[in-house]
Amino acid sequence: MIETGISKLDEYLGGIPEGKSVIFQIEPGVEESNIAIHVLYHNLKKGLNGIYIASESSPKNVEKIFREFGWEIKNFNNLYIIDGYSSLIGAPSEEKFVVEEPHDIRSYEDAIIEIMEKVGGGGILVFDSLSNVMDMCGERETLEGIERINKDVAKEGYTSIYNFISWPYKEAILYRLRRLFNAIIEVRTVEDVVARQRMEIKKADWCQAEGKKLEFKIFKPEGIRIYIPKISVIGPYQAGKTTFIKSISRNFTPVERLGATVGVEHGTVDYKQYRAEIFGIPGQERFLPLLDKLGSSSKGVFLVIDSTKPHEFELAKNMLAKFGDIPYVIVANKQDLPGALRKDELKNKMGLPEAEIVETVASQGKGVYEAFEKLVEKILECLNAS
Amino acid sequence: MLAKTGIDRLDELLKGGIPVKSNVLVYAPPFIGREIILKRFALSGLEEGNDVLFVLTDKSFADMREEMIKLDKKYEKYEEEGRVRYIDVYSTSVELKEESKWAIFVDSPINRERIASSIIQILKEKEGNNHRIVFDSISTLIVYSDAKAVFRFLQVLSGICKRMNATSMFSMTRGMHEEIEVQTIKHLMDGVIELKEEGARFQLRVQGCGEVISRHWIDYVLEGEELRLTGAFRMGRVA
Repeated sequence: MIETGISKLDEYLGGIPEGKSVIFQIEPGVEESNIAIHVLYHNLKKGLNGIYIASESSPKNVEKIFREFGWEIKNFNNLYIIDGYSSLIGAPSEEKFVVEEPHDIRSYEDAIIEIMEKVGGGGILVFDSLSNVMDMCGERETLEGIERINKDVAKEGYTSIYNFISWPYKEAILYRLRRLFNAIIEVRTVEDVVARQRMEIKKADWCQAEGKKLEFKIFKPEGIRIYIPKISVIGPYQAGKTTFIKSISRNFTPVERLGATVGVEHGTVDYKQYRAEIFGIPGQERFLPLLDKLGSSSKGVFLVIDSTKPHEFELAKNMLAKFGDIPYVIVANKQDLPGALRKDELKNKMGLPEAEIVETVASQGKGVYEAFEKLVEKILECLNAS
Repeated sequence: MLAKTGIDRLDELLKGGIPVKSNVLVYAPPFIGREIILKRFALSGLEEGNDVLFVLTDKSFADMREEMIKLDKKYEKYEEEGRVRYIDVYSTSVELKEESKWAIFVDSPINRERIASSIIQILKEKEGNNHRIVFDSISTLIVYSDAKAVFRFLQVLSGICKRMNATSMFSMTRGMHEEIEVQTIKHLMDGVIELKEEGARFQLRVQGCGEVISRHWIDYVLEGEELRLTGAFRMGRVA
């Protein structure tokens, strides 16, 4: 099995079996289009052989792109670059493997086969980008070539990954294209709140992952992060919202006066491969009418409660109700204090038997990441159901 | 709403300018005034308070900036205000080591995806503002790949530009392309300003671009950095 290195995608796909071909069909103009390169890096790092076909950028520029993510190409002697670019612009190439005839798909095939046979041992083949090669070599000719390449790749125990920019090609061509690959992952821009990209598995013939989605952003130098642009943190006054946000964020912008929060606070959570922006909405009653405004377009909500104050639960529920039908997790805070109610008691008292409740001591960082993971799971479930 | 081209009699011919949010092709042989039209268009945009984005495939952003300053001293002020941006698709490919906070460098004219996403990125930074885009030139893109691929690229791009309040001029060099390629590209545009050399005379004509006074070939002359229409087109004067 090959991994993409995008944790959630790997979970959905259960990895990519050897010999399979995967295409990332990317909407033109997305902020960061080179997803295949991340898959390549992940596998190089694990010691697998990587063949990279550069067709729209010089190998030098590929090196530069690698460096933007803090990767050094020269450190990988398991990487084989096929230069399909230099001869295209009539420049000399410093690479060992060069596509002599960039307008003939068979010239690419020659180079690929040569490397696979020389190197052996399986690995990953990354084609960047298929759309550009189609423009160079002709659409039909290229597709026929890819069919042959995929057969050879499978025979040699390699897995192939294609980057494809979905320019407005003719539907007949796209139809044929879709038939050629074992898996199709569509990538496009989502604009609400903060621009980010959405992946959707359109096809995967070895598993039941069709329709699964995830949203991400590519950061430099961190790379791909599953991205949640807005999570609101609500709850009654002094329940510990600020402490909770501080305890899970790597950076934090406070808006405090005399120990009370007087505006919307913000923190960024980096946990595993996730990144989320979380916003704390103050709990004083005078902020209540603003709750739905400040919290609008949230992807999820943390309701932070003081587990020792049952008389505030009704207020807490009212706050939650303002958000309508949206993924939420109840953060049952201050579990270290005497008289703190436990999860099941809270479910009863609050009259929310189905609610996801996580017991925390935010001041000691206890339970906070568990709460975060639970909410992220719910947000992803919600995305997948949409 | 019209966007002035910045050339007085051309604006007169266009009844005020080219329609805002339209895409206009400037189709001309080399050295007979194409660049003047593009630069004046940019400058008049800046004067009107628009933001300007240059997409350059044949010269570095540094050269363009110098030429613009020569044209108008105020250009530096516009730059300082952050109203001028560049996508430089030239410098990296000829290994010029340039840097600027106002420029995005794309390594190759083949990397259309990078060009498109850089344009979107810059337009988005000031979403809601009126933008002018000078794209010079489509010809280079075509030479490095093929007209159909560039057509698909422009199909996506022209839609995005409109949606994001940009009025754009794209240039294409006359004499470099097959007629079918030219027609294909024209098909995507809202209008064409065409220049030609006829014997010793320079002539210009407008196709599309909304309402115009005349669609005939009109004489013009080049005087330094000026392009001046000398031919008659006023209704009253046309015989």
